[in-house]
Amino acid sequence: MFPNSGASAPTMRVTSQSVVPRDITDEFTEAASKLSTGQLVKDEYFTLFEAVGALEIMDSKMDSGFLGPNENHAQALEDDYDITRELAPEEVVGIMDGLLCHEMAWHMGHPLSQTLFTSLYLDRLLWPVPNTLDEARFTRGSADGRNEEPALVNLVLRAYCMALVKCCDYVHARVAAEYYYEEEDFVTQLYNRNLLSPFDLDPFLDLLDRAAAWIEEQQDGINEEVRAAIKLRIEFRRDLLLGLYQDIDVIQNRSSDNFRACLSRLSDLAQSASIGKPVPESFSWKVQRRLASTVPPRPMVNISQDDALAHLKRLCQDGIDLQEILDYRGPHNFKVAVWTMLSRKPQPSVYIRSLLQTLIVNNALVLGVVPVRDFLYDELAELVLPTSILLQANTDQTEMPSNPRFQIAQHMDGFVKRFSQPFVDTFRSACLNRCRIRRTVCHTLVDWDNLQMEAEDLDEQLRTLSDEPPLILSNGDSTYSYPFSSWAYHQKLNQFRLILQLGFELSIYSPEELPGMYWYLSHICSTHLGHLDRIRTFTVATAKRNLTALAGKKRDAVERHAVLQKSLRLLERLSTQVVAVDAFAISLHALYVLLDRHHILPTASSPQAYSSERLRYELRMKPFLPITLPELVPYDDYRREALLEGDSDGAVLERATKAITEARKAWETTLANGAFSPDQPTPTTPAIEEDWKKDVKDTMRACIGTSLAIESLKKGLAMRNTSKGSSPDGPSVDLRVDIPEVGSKARFHDWWAVPQISHNTLRSKT
Amino acid sequence: MDANQAVQFLESLIGQTIRVHATDTRIFVGTFKCTDAARNIILGNTFEYRPPTPSAVRDAAASADTETSAEQASPNIKVNMTSRFIGLVVVPGRHITQIELEETPQQNRVRDALRKTKGFV
Repeated sequence: MFPNSGASAPTMRVTSQSVVPRDITDEFTEAASKLSTGQLVKDEYFTLFEAVGALEIMDSKMDSGFLGPNENHAQALEDDYDITRELAPEEVVGIMDGLLCHEMAWHMGHPLSQTLFTSLYLDRLLWPVPNTLDEARFTRGSADGRNEEPALVNLVLRAYCMALVKCCDYVHARVAAEYYYEEEDFVTQLYNRNLLSPFDLDPFLDLLDRAAAWIEEQQDGINEEVRAAIKLRIEFRRDLLLGLYQDIDVIQNRSSDNFRACLSRLSDLAQSASIGKPVPESFSWKVQRRLASTVPPRPMVNISQDDALAHLKRLCQDGIDLQEILDYRGPHNFKVAVWTMLSRKPQPSVYIRSLLQTLIVNNALVLGVVPVRDFLYDELAELVLPTSILLQANTDQTEMPSNPRFQIAQHMDGFVKRFSQPFVDTFRSACLNRCRIRRTVCHTLVDWDNLQMEAEDLDEQLRTLSDEPPLILSNGDSTYSYPFSSWAYHQKLNQFRLILQLGFELSIYSPEELPGMYWYLSHICSTHLGHLDRIRTFTVATAKRNLTALAGKKRDAVERHAVLQKSLRLLERLSTQVVAVDAFAISLHALYVLLDRHHILPTASSPQAYSSERLRYELRMKPFLPITLPELVPYDDYRREALLEGDSDGAVLERATKAITEARKAWETTLANGAFSPDQPTPTTPAIEEDWKKDVKDTMRACIGTSLAIESLKKGLAMRNTSKGSSPDGPSVDLRVDIPEVGSKARFHDWWAVPQISHNTLRSKT
Repeated sequence: MDANQAVQFLESLIGQTIRVHATDTRIFVGTFKCTDAARNIILGNTFEYRPPTPSAVRDAAASADTETSAEQASPNIKVNMTSRFIGLVVVPGRHITQIELEETPQQNRVRDALRKTKGFV
């Protein structure tokens, strides 16, 4: 992952003064006529593929500048709307609310050309690009350019519009600086206009203050209710502007006051919306004919006031809750906080996600204070290298090249250079949209596979330098801890699990694949558990060695003991979570195997479809094909394991029941353990903890749903066995299976597709 | 001009900045990329130029009047064409009214010299 480079269109054509145009129409026409049909004369680097992307001039669907045959030249380009006309106060409210809707539509990912830039008021302010703030007026170009009458338009509405544009400027700057997907998350295109970016904040606040003061004075002229509505909008805009201006300064000043103020005004904003009188004539898609745009003309986007306010509300709420991740509490807790925050439904808007990306890492500092190197060391110390000398060596302290500490430090420098970016990216990738997270992780998985191999080399070199004592296994073999490659493998297994679980969330798998995918999830989990055990073994061994020193009551031994215990507790915490996922996956796997076995599992592909189980398996394993460890499960093994061949229905049911009981217990433990490891100083994070608890509770509801489904299936199978004359091949079990879709109420958790099983006969009777 | 010379002439224009006038009075200025027998022209990095609207002319005339009212009103006013960047475009041959080549006087002289010696362009 790298930040997007701001590719911008040329803004002005540069010509030298001495250019003389020469008419070549006749020569050109004659020459072209000599070409044979299909013959092209072209730039050798210009491909036909590019040519397909060219806009066809004079084609109404492609050419944004095309004027229809019945369109009068003047009307087509300019609207009859008079921007300097006087407005009723209700109309001002209507226009402000209309602008807010367009602003939110832009936040949601629609281009400016179809949203805010359709406003004729904004168009007048922003084009031609004003050199001073004073130039950005509705009355520009006319004789009385500086006139502020009528004040409702030229003072109040102008102040609102200017501040709105500045808000957009801050949002635009933040998003464009980070990794996002153009046209998927957001459109940064400005069509050669400028969002008043050269100007500082203060004049905008002055404008708003003057507008607020003026409206305050109009007790006689304007109806009280309308006056309050206008004032509210101006104050709201001021808060939002300040909130967006704060941006990453939130790390220093830790203030969420502005977003809180915005949030508190939203209900009044919604209530007073009915006062406003919309002025649809002041918005026109024809503005597109004058925008520098390389895309075909597109219609105006209109979203409802309710949708706009809902989006705004989430933006403010997320902006406030962002506070809770700002205190650094070690990589593990940080990851939980970031991931929980970004898994909110609906996902936080692209502005919040971009802001988070910057907060996660900016100028090689995590959360603005922790150097990336320390961040990586903290992670290693938490998991694989508690109290290790490897993390303490420093080239600044030891300068003798023959000293092992110096050599260790040199190796570690190389390690930090190589690993810090990929490691930080495992946090940053959570800020992408959900589909892109999965896609990105599929790619980074391969990188981590390589990193693991490099880490293994490093482990071997460092082992001799640090004089690591081998661990003697029960069979007499000796082994070493391989801390760095162990850690890389742990990261990779996390990513495996994430890819699978996001697969369920994004509804990638068809119903017939569910037995296999839940089997694979449990397979990855058990691999992971084994690996965590291995890491634990070495930490325990270190702790044992430390015990002798501890008996001597040495002070550093006591400290070491505390660190080792902390690390063991974290490993325990991680294991509990993986066990919980594992048990749940085993249960769902068994359940789906039975549904499949009795042909009551819905299928997405028709019997004539080209797809087959083998092909589907191949497709799903594609991200994992290049990975050396864990090894790919060959199809035949997979099939045997995933279908539980040879196990009777009873045995499979038993397996499902047992596993779900275990899963419920494990999830309860997870919930009791809490979101964050208490070994790090914990500031209060009520909102994120609430989200995290809700997530675990939803998972537990999914567990209960699974128990119910197992019971229904058990009954259904029992009934079939008692009833006589059931044909051996037809759909023998009289059950109906529904798999609730992601987002529906019956789908308790996105990551767990729990089937709903009901009785067909009972259903038809009612 | 035989077929060979035609191709040579057109190839000599590749990469040059040309101005294509369209039937609706717009002018497209960009880098010549490609053409075919139907005289369809592909331009890269194109800017669209449009004659000023009547209202813009009116405004300009009005402000010219106020500025020069003391002196004698000048009969001519100058209004810029509006332009915008539109990128890669194809102008269909049937909509083309005029094609111009932008060149410096230097290039012009070279081309004239070539025309005399080679008998084309």
